[in-house]
Amino acid sequence: MATTTTPTTQPAGPDRPAGAEAPTWREWAANRWIQTGIVLLVLVIAGALPYVRAPFPEATGVWLDQNLNDLYSWVVSNRDTSPIFIYGFNYLSVGLGSSVVFIDDMLQALTWPGVVVLGAFAAWRAAGWRVMLVVLAAFAVFGFTGLWNQAMTTLALIITAVGLALIVGIPLGIAAGRSDRVQRALRPVLDFMQIMPAFAYLMPMLLLFGIGNPAAAVATTVYAIPPAVRITAMAIRNVDKGAIEAATSLGSTKWQILGKVQLPLAKRTILLGVNQTIMLAVSMVVIASVIGAGGLGDAIYQALSKINIGRALEAGLAIVMLAIAMDRVTGAVGHGAHTPQIPERLRWWVLGGGALATAAAAALQVERWPSEWRFHIAGPVNDFSNAFESAVGGVTSTLGAWLLEWVLGPLNSTLTGAPWWLVVLASGALGWIFGGRRVGITCGVAILGAGLLGQWDRSMDTLAQILVAAVIVLAIGVVIGVFMARHDLFAALLRPVLDAMQTLPPFVYLIPAVALFSAGKVPALAAAVVFALPPVIRLVNDGIRGVSQQTVEAAVSQGSTKWQLLTKVQLPLARSSLLLAVNQGIMMILSMVVIGALVGGGALGYGVVFGLKQNELGLGLTSGLAIVCLGIFLDRMTQGRRTNA
Amino acid sequence: MRKRPSITTAATAAAAASAVVLASSCAAQTGGGPGGEDTVRMAINGWVGYEASAAVLTYLLENELDVRVEQKQIDEQPSWQGLNDGDLDVIVENWGHEDLMEQYGPDGNDTVVDGGPNGNKGTLGWYVPSYLLEEYPDINTYQGVKENAEIFRTPESGDKGEFLAGDPAFVTQDQGMINHFDMDLKIVYAGSEAAEITTMRKKYSDEEPFLAYFYEPQWLHNELDLEHVEFPEYTEGCADDADDVSCGYPEYDLNKIFRKDFAEEDSPAYRLLDNWTWTNDDQNAVAEMIAQDGMDADEAAEKWVEDNRDVWESWIPEGADN
Repeated sequence: MATTTTPTTQPAGPDRPAGAEAPTWREWAANRWIQTGIVLLVLVIAGALPYVRAPFPEATGVWLDQNLNDLYSWVVSNRDTSPIFIYGFNYLSVGLGSSVVFIDDMLQALTWPGVVVLGAFAAWRAAGWRVMLVVLAAFAVFGFTGLWNQAMTTLALIITAVGLALIVGIPLGIAAGRSDRVQRALRPVLDFMQIMPAFAYLMPMLLLFGIGNPAAAVATTVYAIPPAVRITAMAIRNVDKGAIEAATSLGSTKWQILGKVQLPLAKRTILLGVNQTIMLAVSMVVIASVIGAGGLGDAIYQALSKINIGRALEAGLAIVMLAIAMDRVTGAVGHGAHTPQIPERLRWWVLGGGALATAAAAALQVERWPSEWRFHIAGPVNDFSNAFESAVGGVTSTLGAWLLEWVLGPLNSTLTGAPWWLVVLASGALGWIFGGRRVGITCGVAILGAGLLGQWDRSMDTLAQILVAAVIVLAIGVVIGVFMARHDLFAALLRPVLDAMQTLPPFVYLIPAVALFSAGKVPALAAAVVFALPPVIRLVNDGIRGVSQQTVEAAVSQGSTKWQLLTKVQLPLARSSLLLAVNQGIMMILSMVVIGALVGGGALGYGVVFGLKQNELGLGLTSGLAIVCLGIFLDRMTQGRRTNA
Repeated sequence: MRKRPSITTAATAAAAASAVVLASSCAAQTGGGPGGEDTVRMAINGWVGYEASAAVLTYLLENELDVRVEQKQIDEQPSWQGLNDGDLDVIVENWGHEDLMEQYGPDGNDTVVDGGPNGNKGTLGWYVPSYLLEEYPDINTYQGVKENAEIFRTPESGDKGEFLAGDPAFVTQDQGMINHFDMDLKIVYAGSEAAEITTMRKKYSDEEPFLAYFYEPQWLHNELDLEHVEFPEYTEGCADDADDVSCGYPEYDLNKIFRKDFAEEDSPAYRLLDNWTWTNDDQNAVAEMIAQDGMDADEAAEKWVEDNRDVWESWIPEGADN
């Protein structure tokens, strides 16, 4: 689940200039924290007084739930007869399904030697021999874990979904890049798409497209489109104005400017968007296996249902390798650094040679990966995890109990105990303090929205869990990030670990978390922390390393201790990175709410999962939308008055 | 040094790739595809017992009838939608779901048919570890659970006893039972069967008390010694009000569900599936190989098929070339 640049926040832009006449930030912050303290104090006191408790009025929630469930029933009984389905969705669904099957069949028809030769050749031609080695390593992992066919199915699904995402996303991005109105109209839609938990729209997808590949392809596409649009728009906007003016003055038409100036100049950045789109698609295919997508995600699911952690890890590693290989290929194409230089006259010969080699390899007709060429790491991994569990299980149980009793419990009862309108007001006030009036209104409305959806109590429960996870992530992330920034060797060792953590599907470490903490909120919290740590660590590291060397040297020459250097110079100067880390960390935790429900996180996440599995569209969607409300609240709060992130 | 734009390179590579793929897929087709013409699309619901049944049936269909089987991992409820939409042909182990039968069966959309019992008997219910019986001899009855609810307390359930619930896809009436018998219990949703089993295993190895929703046939019973908690027997109507359930779960005769058109085609594959019935012991034998011995499902199925010829021979439809 891979992305550090998840732009739930829009890319750093100049649309929010730093308050020119504001007092120094130190005074301002001091003020702000006092204000925050007052708001929280009121909330805690109100939460502790039992008599003010008033449940959120249910009317809107019940109405919404009822209507969504009616809609569900209507679709179920009319799916076979309504023209919307017969002439609309069913065609789409057949088309999408067949394209996945077609690509999959082609990959199967090539047989594994054919795919290996083709993949290696294409990677070498497009990105150089280093990347080719990475691609070969990925193929080796697919084969040696015995997951070749699953990997090919996943690849077929990703190719279809990414293709679709780019066909829709890039034109939209171009439009948004050229017109402020389109940009303004698209922004909330993209925000929504990124915050809405994927699980919550799986069910509507199922309803519209049926089970299996078509629904999975659309769900994956929806999940993967936002970066394609956002980064393309940003790329077009960043094209040098002078170049456009020059072209205009030479009498170019709009299309000529787009085709000859803007697109070529924006190409590298757009390829970055393609890269991010692929990464999101890779992370989504695991979730899509819940609706029958098959492939590697399915392998993880099946391993989990047998509680075979080792086998799940094997499939997880295959996904990590797939992601890394696709990342390196598109990345290398983007900056074009290691592409082999082949003289013009030889190009077709090289291409022909590659095609011939592939055909020859495919003609061998070696269909199955030889079973004696398999290494199973499942056994040792399972042994290790059992040993680990029995070694630390006692400590973690105690820790978990403490966390539940002293942190999560009180926080939850404060939020659910206080009258709902006070919580709404407090949210608005906090938004105002951190981000100004408009942010304050957005925050208050967002929290109110969760109640209007009929999900007040669950939302407060989820919010409490997110806040606790955020504090833990930040505490750990800042310490490791600072350490990483100060020790190059440690940083070098840590980077691949962070890479793997970000692409490893969280499903893989859910069950070990349960084994340590027993099903409930704590393992869900632990999984969210693991998932959200890498981007936080990276951002803190980048921020501190970004502090100018002269500033650091100046401070050292004036006799600052290491601690002073960190607290008085490095951390304050890295402030914008730290704020971005807070924001990204919280958004990553939010994206784990539903996945955490699979190990007992309960609350909104459980509503989404239960809705999906029991065909309750109302519960599933309102829970999902309530998560969006929390997401908007947390995002706006933490983006705050960020100046130049 | 001037460099050719790399996007062109990528495009060339992609074009080359697809050309090669196309060329060789033609070659492969003339070489003859795998298996016969027919394909059966089988839903795989997420528990090992189901997978065991599906694995054996898949093995027999593929090796005895030369029919290709496409297994699709999908939850119970969407499986029915899959049958309705024509994306699936069969569910091999169905637990109740009268509401779905009403929706999609002869009285509703008329797209699915009941394929009759598969021979497995399904028990749902509440389970406690048997070591609790030493100290609380009547803990395997609802009265015993009610009196001793406090021993099940955990940090997660606060001042009430914890009732551990499993996968959200499963059929449940636990809250209604807790309400009716006025038990001081709080349901903690494990959220998935894997999380539930992992928790039960952990508590079992520490000999801690626990109370959980579980079922038979299930391979975990061979590893943990669990006691079924007795409730008043299920009678017609006692579970109609979800908030007030005065009985335990009914016994299920697990059955098969077919897509109507698939059943009406009456292919050899359908007839094999229709003929198939086996016992809980049969299913458990295969499920254990998969879940405990870590075998791949198809290997486990192959082994069982080799050892139990007398059981499955009668399933193979007459006239099928063997």
